[in-house]
Amino acid sequence: MTAIPYAEALDRYRANAGGFPLRPDDATIAELIAAYHPDSTGGKAIPLKIGVNAGMLCQPQVAALLQTNALIEDVDIAGAEILNTDILVIGGGGAGAAAALTAAGEGARVILATKLLLGDSNTVMAEGGIQAAVGDDDSPQRHFEDTFKAGHRAADKELVAQLALDGPDVIRWLIKLGMSFDVVGHRPFGGTLKRKTPGGATAPRILSYRDFTGLEMMRVLREAVGLHRGIQVMDRSPAVELLSDERGGCAGAVVYSLEHHRFVLVRARRTILATGGSGRLHLNGFPTSNHYGATADGLVLAYRMGAKLREMDSFQYHPTGIAHPAHLAGGLVSEAARSEGAKLVNGLGERFIDELKPRDVVASAILREIQEGRGVSRDGQTGVFLDVPGLVAAKPGILETTLISLAHLAKKCRIDPTAEPLLVTPTLHYQNGGVAIDTHGQSSVPGLFCVGEISGGIHGRNRMMGNALLDIISFGRRAGAHAAEARAEAYSSRAGIGHIHDWQRQLTLADLPLDARGPHVFPDYGNFDLVADAGIGPRAAE
Amino acid sequence: MTGIKQVLLDPAIQIGADLTTWLSLGGGDGLKAAIASPAGALDTVRDSGLRGMGGAGFPTSRKWEMLIASEAHDKAIVCNGNEDEPGTFKDRHLLEHTPHQVIEGGLIAAVATGTNQLFFYINPHHTKGLAAMRRAVEQWLVHDLLQAAQAAIGKSIKLAVVESSGLYIGGEETAVISTIEGGFPFPRRKPPFPAQSGVFGAPTVINNVETLANLPHILAHGAAWHRANGIGDAVGTKLYSLSGDVLRPGLYELPMGSSLHDLVFVHGMGMLSGKEFKAVFTGGPSNTLLTKKDLDVALDFDSVRARNSRLGTGAMIVISEGTSIVRKISEYMDFFANGSCGQCPPCKSGTYQLSRILNRIDAGDGSDGDLAALENLCSILPGCGRCALIDGAVTVVESSLSTFRNEYVSSIRRRD
Repeated sequence: MTAIPYAEALDRYRANAGGFPLRPDDATIAELIAAYHPDSTGGKAIPLKIGVNAGMLCQPQVAALLQTNALIEDVDIAGAEILNTDILVIGGGGAGAAAALTAAGEGARVILATKLLLGDSNTVMAEGGIQAAVGDDDSPQRHFEDTFKAGHRAADKELVAQLALDGPDVIRWLIKLGMSFDVVGHRPFGGTLKRKTPGGATAPRILSYRDFTGLEMMRVLREAVGLHRGIQVMDRSPAVELLSDERGGCAGAVVYSLEHHRFVLVRARRTILATGGSGRLHLNGFPTSNHYGATADGLVLAYRMGAKLREMDSFQYHPTGIAHPAHLAGGLVSEAARSEGAKLVNGLGERFIDELKPRDVVASAILREIQEGRGVSRDGQTGVFLDVPGLVAAKPGILETTLISLAHLAKKCRIDPTAEPLLVTPTLHYQNGGVAIDTHGQSSVPGLFCVGEISGGIHGRNRMMGNALLDIISFGRRAGAHAAEARAEAYSSRAGIGHIHDWQRQLTLADLPLDARGPHVFPDYGNFDLVADAGIGPRAAE
Repeated sequence: MTGIKQVLLDPAIQIGADLTTWLSLGGGDGLKAAIASPAGALDTVRDSGLRGMGGAGFPTSRKWEMLIASEAHDKAIVCNGNEDEPGTFKDRHLLEHTPHQVIEGGLIAAVATGTNQLFFYINPHHTKGLAAMRRAVEQWLVHDLLQAAQAAIGKSIKLAVVESSGLYIGGEETAVISTIEGGFPFPRRKPPFPAQSGVFGAPTVINNVETLANLPHILAHGAAWHRANGIGDAVGTKLYSLSGDVLRPGLYELPMGSSLHDLVFVHGMGMLSGKEFKAVFTGGPSNTLLTKKDLDVALDFDSVRARNSRLGTGAMIVISEGTSIVRKISEYMDFFANGSCGQCPPCKSGTYQLSRILNRIDAGDGSDGDLAALENLCSILPGCGRCALIDGAVTVVESSLSTFRNEYVSSIRRRD
């Protein structure tokens, strides 16, 4: 693949600075996506061989992971400590925290188990903002229509409607928790929420706090969870298997304590999976903007137990990930930059796409530039320019007031953002599909809820900017409240991992390998081996 | 290797509650033979060597002879379809898929013994089986064959479907009688035995669903044919409920006396995910565990008894090296503790204590004292109940303690 050398491209960029011509484009959006989007051009989606969705098309790496054998056997949890709780929340990001807070607020006892630390999640990396139809010129109906359309009409309409309707209340709830938002009007307290337009929207609807909205959100959620007496947080405790009752419902989970090197059985009346997405699987060889924990653990466990999935062949590649330097590859440049007006420029010094088109369109357009030799090459890394200097010229001081994270990122890349454009390329960003849920976050497995990126059906086949932060709070709260209603129910009489036997049967009968095990818990380069860590290797000699 | 031999499970006769089709497929021949010669029917059953398939393995003809010997006008036969123990799922299949096979068997028994009351005692949890039986009985009530059977014994025959309590204890013989009489499913002291005084005082025989289902075939094809279906000294076929850590669990009808190895490794297609075979809970989890050294055992009543265990209902719950014995035993003890009817204090508190101690060990809170307590309970509890529930519960704990003591010990040590 040829590309234009950095020095040459930079000269053209500087020559055109201020007035990059938009190249006319004949390709329709559908053609663009079909020809260049990694979902179409990467590993061809294959049908799942086993499980409730056997036959459904799935991204091949994800399919391989979904069809793995369990990490543990029944004997490994013999003699393990048992904790009892009303609600078990697995995942320490925004969705998990919102679910835990709501359930505990209803009077349920909650255990929140997270594989890393509470708040150590993708939520804190969400920069752009959160969508909610709060403006005079806006409405939940418009929000619904924009979201449904951006998702290529593949989403579950009921879920999208619920999302859009919940928007204003979610913002109110967050403000009550103490979260700050950008406001217009210079008053010491209060003001009107500042709104920006996300790609693909018909009205300004993004609410933000600087360009680290997710971090600000997680700050207040983390404090609230930590202070709530009804929530016990288990840090560094990844779930390695779900517990099933005799009727195939979910009865809790087996978590592994990384500190004590032992398994703990958490029996719960309801289990809420909020384990996030799968970016760290580096699908189709792409770098990722995702957090270290995004290894699709919950997805694997839920599918093994019989939860239906949807759109597992659809992933979002964020248009603007860092392309250079190599060690920061995949790091995210927030859509806030484009939302504020930053342009994308190829190696010929021309614009090639309307930057505010939905993410899959913009990402495909960038990949087209790169594949057709109009990309910019620097030290072996290829991408296109993001015209930050042009933005700074148009809006002086923006790096200090609004795009603070961007300035910080530029510093890490060792470039002066006021003078030099960033080199960007699409990065694996979001799992569009996931576990099919209803408006309460309930999956097809009794007792099992899924909220946040693990769930599917809300965003269809493409997610809009700002809908993820809304989704995690909206459905997190709904699942938490609904699950808490079970707090007076009896525990299922038995909680075990008998469902893995059925799973192993299916694996064997489908000729799939039994030695491939999942979930990963940590990315491959984390060099984590549960069997070695827990000392549960083959016990033949015992 | 021995092949599957389908008599009761012959796919052609899995037709549900359709009497016309059943009769067109050769059903009714057995009953006609019995009607032609009720005394000959008893001889045929005696010669066939048919034994009680509900677990006891008691010769069916001997039970009947007690009934025949009685002078009473009213006599009862109960078809026991309470089936509730873990790992057994044969009767519910027969009730749902071939109810006429069972009913015809019941009528043959009634004709052979001169019995005028026939109760089909069914676990209400088998909703499909219960519905199929009700539909099937209705069809018999208006059929000429029933008239012929009544003429043969000179009494009118009452056919009734009775819902059991759905509790495990409700399958015990005297509890069955108590339930049919409208009482609680409480076992009572024996004697008097049911054959002396059963349902409302009438001499009563209780036969398992599978036992009765064999009768139409034995009467139609003869005793020699039935004996030839078995292997060696064993006769007929047996429904084995195979479950646990095997690749293909399910209901298998094999010649009686097929080996455990064949059932697990040929029909069950071997152990799940290539794990080593560890043990089998036979006949509902109330018997001595069979281990690797017993894989060659022939699965018939006498051969299994020779290994100090019992064939029971033919349920085989297979455990691999990947599954914890303590967890399984603890699970079954919960079942027994819930299943105890509470009449006999040693059983009521004994099963509860056993379950509590096992749960504690399984949850990693056990101590060496708990092991001693288990052994102590195992030595004092047997024989303390009116029925055999406590004996079964103790047998399985005792057997696992002697065979898999190291697993108990390592569960206790795991948390140190």
